[in-house]
Amino acid sequence: MKVDKTLVASVALHVLVIGWGLVSFSSKAFESMPEESLPVDIISADQLAKVTAGMKTGKKENPKPLVEKVAEAKPSDDAVGKIAEKPPVVTDTAPPPQPKPVEKPVEKKPDPPKPVAESKPKEEPKPIEKKPDPPKVDPIAEALKKEEKKPPPKPQVQAAATPPPQPQKPKERTFDQTKIAALLDKRDPTRQAATGETLNSNAALGLAKGKAADNSATWGSLFQSQVERCWKKPYGGIESQNPEAAFSIRLKRDGTLEGMPVPEGTPATPYLRVYQESALRAIIECQPYNLPAAYFEEWKYFAPVFTERKT
Amino acid sequence: MSFRLSRRQILSGMAALGVSGGGVRNAFGQKRLIIPEGDFAPLPIAIPNFVAGTPSDGDVAVGVTQVITNNLKRSGLFAPIDQAAYIEKVVNIDAAPQFANWKTISAQALVTGRMTRQPDGRLKAEFRLWDVATGQQLTGQQYFTQPEYWRRIAHIISDQIYERLTGEKGYFDSRVVFVDETGAAERRVKRLALMDQDGANVRYLTRGTDLVLTPRFSPSTQEITYMEFGQGDPRVYLLNIETGQREIVGNFPGMSFSPRFSPDGQRIIMSLQQGGNSNLFVMDLRSKSTTRLTDTPAIDTSPSYAPDGTRICFESDRGGKPQIYVMPATGGPAQRISFGDGSYSTPVWSPRGDYIAFTKQGSGQFSIGIMKPDGSGERILTSGFHNEGPTFAPNGRVLMFFRDPGGNAGPSLFTVDISGRNELRVPTPGFASDPAWSPLLS
Repeated sequence: MKVDKTLVASVALHVLVIGWGLVSFSSKAFESMPEESLPVDIISADQLAKVTAGMKTGKKENPKPLVEKVAEAKPSDDAVGKIAEKPPVVTDTAPPPQPKPVEKPVEKKPDPPKPVAESKPKEEPKPIEKKPDPPKVDPIAEALKKEEKKPPPKPQVQAAATPPPQPQKPKERTFDQTKIAALLDKRDPTRQAATGETLNSNAALGLAKGKAADNSATWGSLFQSQVERCWKKPYGGIESQNPEAAFSIRLKRDGTLEGMPVPEGTPATPYLRVYQESALRAIIECQPYNLPAAYFEEWKYFAPVFTERKT
Repeated sequence: MSFRLSRRQILSGMAALGVSGGGVRNAFGQKRLIIPEGDFAPLPIAIPNFVAGTPSDGDVAVGVTQVITNNLKRSGLFAPIDQAAYIEKVVNIDAAPQFANWKTISAQALVTGRMTRQPDGRLKAEFRLWDVATGQQLTGQQYFTQPEYWRRIAHIISDQIYERLTGEKGYFDSRVVFVDETGAAERRVKRLALMDQDGANVRYLTRGTDLVLTPRFSPSTQEITYMEFGQGDPRVYLLNIETGQREIVGNFPGMSFSPRFSPDGQRIIMSLQQGGNSNLFVMDLRSKSTTRLTDTPAIDTSPSYAPDGTRICFESDRGGKPQIYVMPATGGPAQRISFGDGSYSTPVWSPRGDYIAFTKQGSGQFSIGIMKPDGSGERILTSGFHNEGPTFAPNGRVLMFFRDPGGNAGPSLFTVDISGRNELRVPTPGFASDPAWSPLLS
């Protein structure tokens, strides 16, 4: 019997894909790790206030926290005075590097261009500045060196040799290894360790209206996402009826209900009754709930409120 | 002097205690967790075949189950679960079902029932509606009827389930009168026909020799008023659907058309033609006295009463194009309520009173829409080449209308939820137009 290989391959592949799908796309809900959800919740300012609110019964272990060392505070005026004094020192050292670099290029750089520029380019300035010099054509550099000390010639030489040395001048100005120390800020450090006798006065007594830490934004969103999978909200028509159904529920550590959820109040209309029943069905059907064990004390007994009211 | 507490006082006192108890609980740190609005979802419901009380009741038991399943499914608010998925076979409806078996298939509601032929020949129908999650029986009834009315029993049970699970009145135990159309387009035969709202039990009320239009139910559901082109002018007729007796409404010189009953069934409101104009008149069926409601040099037609009978809406071209107006049922100043583009016609007031449905013509299309009686909240539900003649289901939640695709094809009937969802074709033997939904039969 001849078997079509492509058919066999097709069947095998389909079996693989369908088998993989059966395992992967199971109806079981994705288990969300409680740790992951911790930083993601968006909470209102009110909730934040509750979280940061203290407890009257809280322990006052660190009445004076946040002090690095206890010592007598230095007068803050000193730092200001030092800053005023020191800057002049810095500025004194800075200028010297500038003139010196200027000298060096004059010594070396002008040399190479000389043979080329001697005859013509330098003739133009020379006749104006120095008449006795022209006879000595060769030792121009030496003559220049002699005249270094004279203030007037300096600009002349610079003017004559401006084109070649200009790009090199900035380099010399910007960096001089021997003067690195002068660039350092020698001011005394102004930042000092926070010291004092009672720096932090925020004793953790909290607000008068403060409640215990409320992490319901964390486990609440987990509960909500799970219960919504089972909630078949009844169709309430095109007119808003603002239904609301609240329950008291007690959960065990394994996430199952300890008892039947207790509805709060009696629904006033048939639709509200249906709405309440649909929510009740959802709570019962979706158990067990996978909620972070760390907050068990908070979610073991709480009141989910199903609502469409815009708050 | 004795001091006695009434039952009401005791109850209210207990309620007050309960409230304060809740407050204390909350003071101990019970968190209120808001679950904001979820999405609407059809309710998964399991409807296993009804149990046959005697071996000969098997067919009717299955038939009733199918009718209920079909009704709930067509409403769009329920998702009946395929019987092939059921784990448990219900054999005794007097014992509580094994709810775990129904939870496994994700059913949230379960209907069990039994049909039993009685020694006197009648049919006994029993059903129970269960909440699978809580294991509670939500409702349960039993009915006796003649065997040939088994479909009505199924519709009544459907209404019970619908009402208990949605909080709204049902509409399944109702009928629709419509104009059945057969034959080629140029020689179309039009007959009045009556059927259950799901398209079953079609009966013909006229023979098709004369053209019939705009049939309307009386509140008693026993009579139909309609317009027929007879030998002379078109006339408004009154037909008793049980006896077949037929009479002309009034004896007017010109054409009378677009009749409709008042909510109390005592009067018929209609248009009478006078020259090029037509005006609204109301006729008392007992005294036969006629009252003029409008007197305008325009065409006023398609009147429809508000459910409380105090106002009417109608169509008029007094402003140039046909628009919808509302005025007191006794006559008086009319207020225009339609202001959109195009023209508006065939207004009909919802039995709930909250909306007026209409046909809107504009941009080369005929649309079906609704608006509030003050003209606000206009909402178009469906548009196309030709959609016309909306009529409300008894609960005001569903509209039926007819759609003509154009060409050689003829019109057929459709239903749509007033939200615009769940548009469905209604099965009819041939072409069909001009539907009118009856009130609930029971």
